[in-house]
Amino acid sequence: MSEIGRLAIILGFLVALWGIAASVLGAVRRDARLIDSGKHAAYAFSALTGIAVLALLYLLLTRDFNVEYVASYSSSTLPIWYTISALWGGMKGSLLWWTFILAVCNAVVQVQNHDKNRDQMPWVTATMLVVGAFFLSLLVFITDPFERLPFTPREGSDLNPLLQNYWMTIHPPSLYVGFVSTTVPFAFAIAALATGKLGDAWIRTTRRWALFSWFFLSLGNLFGAAWAYVVLGWGGYWAWDPVENAAFMPWLTATAYLHSVMIQEKKDMLKVWNMALVILTFALTIFGTFLTRSGVISSVHSFTQSGMGPFFMYFLIAILVISIGMLVWRLPLLKSRNELESVFSREAAFLLNNLILVGIAFTVFWGTIFPVISEWVRGVKITVGPPFFNKVNAPLGIALVFLMGVGPVIAWRKASAASLWRSFATPMGTGVVAGALAFVLGARNFYAVVAISVATFALATVWIEFWRGMRVRQAMMGEKPWTALSRLIGKNRRRYGGYIVHVGVVMIFMGIVASSVFKLEVQRSLHVGDSIEIGGYTVRYDGIAIENDDHVERTFARVSVWDGYGPEAVRVGEVLPEKRFYKKPKQPTTEVSIWSTLGEDLYVVLGSYDPPTQLAVFQVFVNPLISWMWIGGLVLTIGTGVCMWPSYAERPATATARVPAGSRPA
Amino acid sequence: MTEQPTATGDRHRVRSLASAALLLAALLALPAPMLVVPARAEIATQYQLETDLTCQCGCGLTVHSCNHLNCGSGIPLKKEIAEHIAAGETREQILAHFQTKYGEKILSSPTTTGFNIAAWTVPFVAIALGGLLIGVVLVRWRRSTDAGETPSRTGDPAPSDDPALRARLERELDDLERRS
Repeated sequence: MSEIGRLAIILGFLVALWGIAASVLGAVRRDARLIDSGKHAAYAFSALTGIAVLALLYLLLTRDFNVEYVASYSSSTLPIWYTISALWGGMKGSLLWWTFILAVCNAVVQVQNHDKNRDQMPWVTATMLVVGAFFLSLLVFITDPFERLPFTPREGSDLNPLLQNYWMTIHPPSLYVGFVSTTVPFAFAIAALATGKLGDAWIRTTRRWALFSWFFLSLGNLFGAAWAYVVLGWGGYWAWDPVENAAFMPWLTATAYLHSVMIQEKKDMLKVWNMALVILTFALTIFGTFLTRSGVISSVHSFTQSGMGPFFMYFLIAILVISIGMLVWRLPLLKSRNELESVFSREAAFLLNNLILVGIAFTVFWGTIFPVISEWVRGVKITVGPPFFNKVNAPLGIALVFLMGVGPVIAWRKASAASLWRSFATPMGTGVVAGALAFVLGARNFYAVVAISVATFALATVWIEFWRGMRVRQAMMGEKPWTALSRLIGKNRRRYGGYIVHVGVVMIFMGIVASSVFKLEVQRSLHVGDSIEIGGYTVRYDGIAIENDDHVERTFARVSVWDGYGPEAVRVGEVLPEKRFYKKPKQPTTEVSIWSTLGEDLYVVLGSYDPPTQLAVFQVFVNPLISWMWIGGLVLTIGTGVCMWPSYAERPATATARVPAGSRPA
Repeated sequence: MTEQPTATGDRHRVRSLASAALLLAALLALPAPMLVVPARAEIATQYQLETDLTCQCGCGLTVHSCNHLNCGSGIPLKKEIAEHIAAGETREQILAHFQTKYGEKILSSPTTTGFNIAAWTVPFVAIALGGLLIGVVLVRWRRSTDAGETPSRTGDPAPSDDPALRARLERELDDLERRS
């Protein structure tokens, strides 16, 4: 099977090269046969990478330890679910998985556009195949996932125990889908630059793809945070590690693009800026891949250091040089209308929103690479850790959430003083009251009070938008509240879906603020029967139990959770924090146990344990509003779904945009 | 009777707003240096110092956050911090001690001296410059809109010169925007 996999990636690489040549030549010579051949090459590329993925999966599932990758990332006792996730658990497999997702995206794009965008499609195909060929070239020439060992080990080294977690089975695929699907808008942008067709068509074609990749980047980041929260056991979920930053940066620029593209659609402005954001977002995904595989910046998330760093660096430079070169070449065709009636307008608010989003992305980039710059300039190694990122990004994050409240309700073109007052008086008042209330209730951190105030303001603007729209429908159509609300959303899914997404993001923001500022923690050694009182809870250590199997030995503490202190406390449940000892590789891990409510998480970590005395060290955190982050993610998912669902108005437009099959490119 | 805005008045407003945008950027920039300058008389606490230092085990977390089992770096560092606090040293003295002993890499954030100032200031300078650029662009667009340099979309009716009609149009568009 490894031979089939190896053959598939070699053929896939060759097919990609042919597809690039055929598509470019076909586009230049206007040769429909070559263009079709390029399209067929894209399908063949997808099929071949699919075969390679299936081959590697088969080798993993059949525990063929003669294959180096299988021996390094699985074992005979590894549960099947984690054996499947081993497919992307190592560097070679992750590169193959990346290429496969790209191939699937390419095939979907070909199907979606089989009778549309005929001038642009050869360039789209060529661009996507260039990226695919680059990744496959690494697998063919540098790091072969199907490499066989000169001997067959009796047992595999197993998947890293930290990766043997539910969230790790869905975090990398989500993030990869988000990363890789940014290639689609990028490919259409390159096609628009190549053909000179720089109108709105490429933007409308890729609108859903941009939203799709943004959504998966959001999910990928959230799933990664959830994994860190439950697996790493330090009570937090985001440590501003270079690899976390690498996943966050494209999310920021993609968010900026989703907002600024609305100005182009509505006002025919910001064409160059939007093109630049698409290029930047794609380049940042490659930069992230470079970071994880080059070893240039140390990170706990990095794959083993390899010699691949320079290849990613060259590829990144090539992408930037070519795409920026094409952008400069086409500048005369990218003239926008550039009209602005008033700085009190949604256009201006969106520009500020873009400034802050790209500013945060730059700040994160700067903090990530500053240790390298410092070493170059001064020859001194320094650390840029969480305190730096928190301090620098806190004011920017608050400003961003404030603009989230302003953007949706300020009028396009020009907002009069009267309309500004009408729109903002109530939300502003609500925000001020919320901030004051937080202060009265004991919040003394300046940023926390401002953040609560601003988040409430942003939520209030969305609430009022829904309320007002619903009331208008009720008054004009005589509809019942729920009917009015559902029809209000249904008639303008993009707008109201966007508002729902904003609610989700504000919930995540509130979770971050509350869990960062109002967190409580205590560490204590306890004998059986001892307890800790923290944040309104009593946590009692009731004993230790041990479970053992071929794969792992679990030592878990039985800890009862009581609501309240002293004799009046009421037992509400039990948590079971664990120490695990994995047998292949021999590695201990900590498994936290969480008592979660809507208001807070009681997060219990079993530190160390002395068997003879049963003395155990516990670390207990009370993390407020953590569940808001996960619920916010769910709300964000619903909002994105509403945005992406095609409206009735769009369906005939799509149909009329189609060109009869078989027609030749102009 | 509705008073019509003049082009000069609008330009004045645009300039005021551009300066307000710059002020906003400056205000956003203010908290960072304010936050990073250590108060000399500040009483050192275990939590602060554990957060000021990076664990050397390679986890990338601060000493406070690292709770690795029997961590060969985090646990001794926590003990050492406690000893220095017990000896009555200030936060600055303790940080200087660790910097001398382990090198600058032990600090969880860059210092605010020498080249490291760039780490703190460059992001805000970049954002302020971006704000300035946006301000300039907004003023230029506003001027070109006033001067009518940008052609209307094909088929757009010519704007009415009647102030009453224009005011009514503004009101109705505003209302429509609010309702939609």
